[in-house]
Amino acid sequence: MLLITCPHCGPREESEFSCGGEAHIARPLAENGLTDAQFADYLFLRDNPKGLFLERWRHTAGCRRWFNVARDTVTHEIVEFYPMGSTPKSKAGKAAHAESWRRDTAAEAAARPAPKSRAKQGVGS
Amino acid sequence: MASAASDRGRPPGRTALAGKTPRTTDVPDGARPGLVISELAHLGKLNLRGGDGIVPAVRKHTGCDRLPGNNRTVTVGDRTLVWLAPDEYLLLCEAGQEGHLHSQLMIDLASVHAATTNVTDALCAISLRGPAVRQVLTKGCAIDLHPSVFTAGMCAQTMLSHAAVTLIAGESDRFTLICRTSFAAYVHDWLMDAGLEYGASFRG
Repeated sequence: MLLITCPHCGPREESEFSCGGEAHIARPLAENGLTDAQFADYLFLRDNPKGLFLERWRHTAGCRRWFNVARDTVTHEIVEFYPMGSTPKSKAGKAAHAESWRRDTAAEAAARPAPKSRAKQGVGS
Repeated sequence: MASAASDRGRPPGRTALAGKTPRTTDVPDGARPGLVISELAHLGKLNLRGGDGIVPAVRKHTGCDRLPGNNRTVTVGDRTLVWLAPDEYLLLCEAGQEGHLHSQLMIDLASVHAATTNVTDALCAISLRGPAVRQVLTKGCAIDLHPSVFTAGMCAQTMLSHAAVTLIAGESDRFTLICRTSFAAYVHDWLMDAGLEYGASFRG
């Protein structure tokens, strides 16, 4: 049993928490055309690394708040907690975020608003 | 939302533990029971969501000058504000006053980004006292309940043997346990069983 330190409630046992899976999966925007295979990267494919993994967790039985956790899947060491909507602060966490295969996917690029010039082309064509 | 006036005039209904018979188990050495359980019938409970903007309304209706910090409660007179989460509090008030208090808070919080919900009948409040109260709770709860750690004025939302509960520590080892009404019978049965070795008493 892990003892997890909730950023709001303090140390609590693992069974009070739910793991929400991989963090930092940005939803592609509708105006960005993606192939089915590229959309599948966003919808279905999840990372399963040996080592540091950036996850979403929720303190279900306590404050019921979501937060991000950088957890080592080998040692179960929790390197850091950081709020939803932000990226890791620790050196190891930053590296794990930057090295994720997801950073290079078309799905993640499509989560940012399309460049204006391309949008104009779309209207004209 | 029922009107406050009709709430105040309505006779209180059946409570969550109304079906449980008061009883006391054998006390090992003939001493006082280690755990004494009683239902805080109809204790008023309001869920309050909001940031610092709710402080003036809270001060007006409870006398609390500030919102409780994490895992803390603030009590002024008969009213207690319990921290539940960032931006979320539980306001405990005198039985029968919750409807009036709720409508007053609705008026005073109208211009603030906040929400208040009357959860009086959704939750059951149980008073726990006796010399063995911490030992009994420790059997079903993983948080550190040592008197030097979980001190008076602290609160925690946690699991007590599969039931989600809010534990509030009062003065001289008196605890208030708040659980869902639908879990109240289970929590009562579990407490009576867990307290068996110290002697347990349910006073109704």
